[in-house]
Amino acid sequence: MRVVLAEDLYLLREGLVRLLEAHDCTVVAAVETGPDLLAALLAHRPDVAVVDVRLPPTNTDEGLQAALTARRQVPGLPVLVLSQHVEQLYARELLADGTGGIGYLLKDRVFNADQFLDAVRRVAGGGTAMDPEVIAKLLQQPARNVPLARLTPREREVLELMAEGRSNAAIGQRLFLSESAVGKHTASIFGKLDLAPSDDDNRRVLAVLAYLNGAT
Amino acid sequence: MFRSYALAPLRCVALALLAVFGFVASLPLMMSIGAIVTYPHVLLLVRRLNSLSRRLAGAWSGVVIDLPYREGPVPTPPRRPDGWYEHEGQLFKTRHYPAFFLRMQWLSDDPATARDWMWLVLLAPIGGLVALLAPGFVLAGVVLVAGVTGPGRRMLADAGLTDLVAWPGVTMPGWAVLAAGLAAIVAGVLAGPALLRAHGRWARQWLGHPGLTWWQSSGIGAWLRKGGHDTWQAALLLGLSLTGFAVFLLTLLLTLVSGGFGIAWLAYAIRPMLNHYRRLCVKWGDGEPMPDPYRQREPVPEPGPDGRYRVGRTLYATRDGARRAGFFPWILGDSATWRDLAWMATAPLAALLAVVPGVLIGAGYFGLFWQALFWPLWGVPFGLITGVWVSPWYTWQLMTLGMPFLDAVPGWLSIPIGLALGLLGVLLAGPVLRLITGWARLLLAPSRSAELTQRVEHLAQTRAEAVDASSAELRRIERDLHDGAQARLVAVGLSLGTVEQLMDRDPAAARVLLAQARETSAAALAELRDLVRGIHPPVLAERGLADAVRALALDAALPVEVRADLAGQPPAPVATAAYFAVAEALANAARHAQAGRVGVDIRHTGGLLRVTVTDDGRGGAEPTHGGGLHGLRRRLATFDGTLALHSPQGGPTVLTLEIPCALSSPRTSTS
Repeated sequence: MRVVLAEDLYLLREGLVRLLEAHDCTVVAAVETGPDLLAALLAHRPDVAVVDVRLPPTNTDEGLQAALTARRQVPGLPVLVLSQHVEQLYARELLADGTGGIGYLLKDRVFNADQFLDAVRRVAGGGTAMDPEVIAKLLQQPARNVPLARLTPREREVLELMAEGRSNAAIGQRLFLSESAVGKHTASIFGKLDLAPSDDDNRRVLAVLAYLNGAT
Repeated sequence: MFRSYALAPLRCVALALLAVFGFVASLPLMMSIGAIVTYPHVLLLVRRLNSLSRRLAGAWSGVVIDLPYREGPVPTPPRRPDGWYEHEGQLFKTRHYPAFFLRMQWLSDDPATARDWMWLVLLAPIGGLVALLAPGFVLAGVVLVAGVTGPGRRMLADAGLTDLVAWPGVTMPGWAVLAAGLAAIVAGVLAGPALLRAHGRWARQWLGHPGLTWWQSSGIGAWLRKGGHDTWQAALLLGLSLTGFAVFLLTLLLTLVSGGFGIAWLAYAIRPMLNHYRRLCVKWGDGEPMPDPYRQREPVPEPGPDGRYRVGRTLYATRDGARRAGFFPWILGDSATWRDLAWMATAPLAALLAVVPGVLIGAGYFGLFWQALFWPLWGVPFGLITGVWVSPWYTWQLMTLGMPFLDAVPGWLSIPIGLALGLLGVLLAGPVLRLITGWARLLLAPSRSAELTQRVEHLAQTRAEAVDASSAELRRIERDLHDGAQARLVAVGLSLGTVEQLMDRDPAAARVLLAQARETSAAALAELRDLVRGIHPPVLAERGLADAVRALALDAALPVEVRADLAGQPPAPVATAAYFAVAEALANAARHAQAGRVGVDIRHTGGLLRVTVTDDGRGGAEPTHGGGLHGLRRRLATFDGTLALHSPQGGPTVLTLEIPCALSSPRTSTS
């Protein structure tokens, strides 16, 4: 898997390169600034880009802007955005074009190499990886999402994992359920929230996130 | 049918009697207004009296008259959380007094009140005179008929009234007189209902709902009202100016008698009145604020090494003595004291001009213009009873007494002259009031140096608060780091050290410790993240104020609509203060207001960043001392920013904050 990496802190950049290369990834470019990132993305067309939100020279959201610009020119270019903090505002902007291949995670998640690489692979495959904190914030707004109250606690757990972009198999593994049991839960969730059911992981997460966002 | 014709003359008499009664009663009623306490009762009595006129007009002429009075409940004073009632900055223990004042204001602000009085004093008697035509004809006819018939002639002769029907020089055959008498009776009876209707329409014209008349739409009414207000406001300022002049004379006297001893006390004692005058000048003048210009009193100095207190060139043994002695340099060394004195010496010169519009309107409009209208009400009965007929131009004659050259002017011209004089007075009232308030501003507003002194005081205070706040913030951050992230990193280091030792001996235990270390470092990161958010939210640094507030809105527990119109970024500290203000407002709306929706509006106009947060909650929010809003206000004061909370019971709550600042060009780094 060919990866473009953008991270301005040397230690973290080197750590990420080592982590990715140890798991059958080739880091074709490791850049430090926003303009370099955009150039690298358009030149290499990687299988996935791992991008820090805040990059020099302005130290604002240059990484995010470069990734969004690149995705406008190369639709569906898989991008996994890393940040010290997660904002629903950014999550919305990343998901806005609805083409998938988007990840948005806290930097802490690299601590768990397996889960991090799972997310990288999912994004590279056109899937979605949303940080649990984004999902948790969305679900914490009782005044906005009245129908959520109809879900059972178990269904809520399934919904959270589904919104993070996980497949039925992965959800089953996490919650110690059979895949068919998970399927029943998801069908029930879609029924209760009046959403059209879908087996495609990516379309599914977009529908759920759009629903949660749309209720605002 | 017959009944209504037969009753009409009697009803006309009743209406005329009612008008006379109203006119007679209006005098004691007007006088009893003077005793303020009775004011609302008097007005309600007038209303009741006029409502009788409305009812009679409805019953007897079929003209329906709507009630013109202002609708809705009489305003009541709100009860404060501390149990007191407020009215214009004064607190009252019971609702009785403020309710009375509000009721009085409410009643006298009603335009129908003035019309009620007009009806009672003037318009009802005019209507009554018209209505009297019907019974008048009938009575005249009866007298004529009685004059030619036998028993009637005898009765008249017995009463010595033969001359009444036997006009000298007029000879008429008896049948003609009889016919004329009968015709008069018939005409009176036939005209009765028509006259009643005319009276009803007249009453509707003045007692009904006025609607929007040309008077109001053309702005003439407003212009006249403004002129009237300017006149009495100028007169009131004149009164206060004369008080000030008296104080000036007293100061002169003290200078002569006691060599100036006591001036300081006097100058200090008059300050509240002058501040009141300043407020009135702002309210009635151009509205430009005029803060009080006085210097703040300096604290008593610390005692010297010998234990004594130095004030000026004198040493005082006790703190109390030093405090008392410090009073004189404080007052007499303040340039505002001397400017006050200069104003008090000169104010009457400007304020005496207030007499001009007052006299013009009083003598011209109320004196000359109204004389002829009032004349029938007292001049005619007076003439009928005493036989002495006063001229309808009585005021004019009184005014021109001793000015024989004015005798050439015909008396009726005094009516247009009076109207013109009154209008001239209205025209002059505005400029005169502006002159008076302008003169006051020249001397009573803070001088440039007083303004600078106050500015320095304000800056010193807000700087001290800002320093306090930031050092408290630093202490909090230090404590959070010390107890949180730092401690956790120590724990991680310890675990890793242990892992190093265990790695070969007990790999399973080492793995458990490693997992723990990872969790601890994640927790430390999460704490650092929260800490950073509290200091300076990353999204603010990355995106600027508008997007940071949008991010805040997305995280809020309520639906929040954000509208932002910013051409650039405010300076970072201003943006941070505004951001935390919005965060606090959103949290309050979610927690206390039971709001369903919140709107945030951010714009920059005229060098002012204005942020408005509106919620549709239940309102009634009050900034408590030491509460979140209080802290925000202090924080904004550092930037000369202001925070206004408008939250009536029942909502909506509007929080407005304004910070003077310039915008930088868009998308430049703020960190």
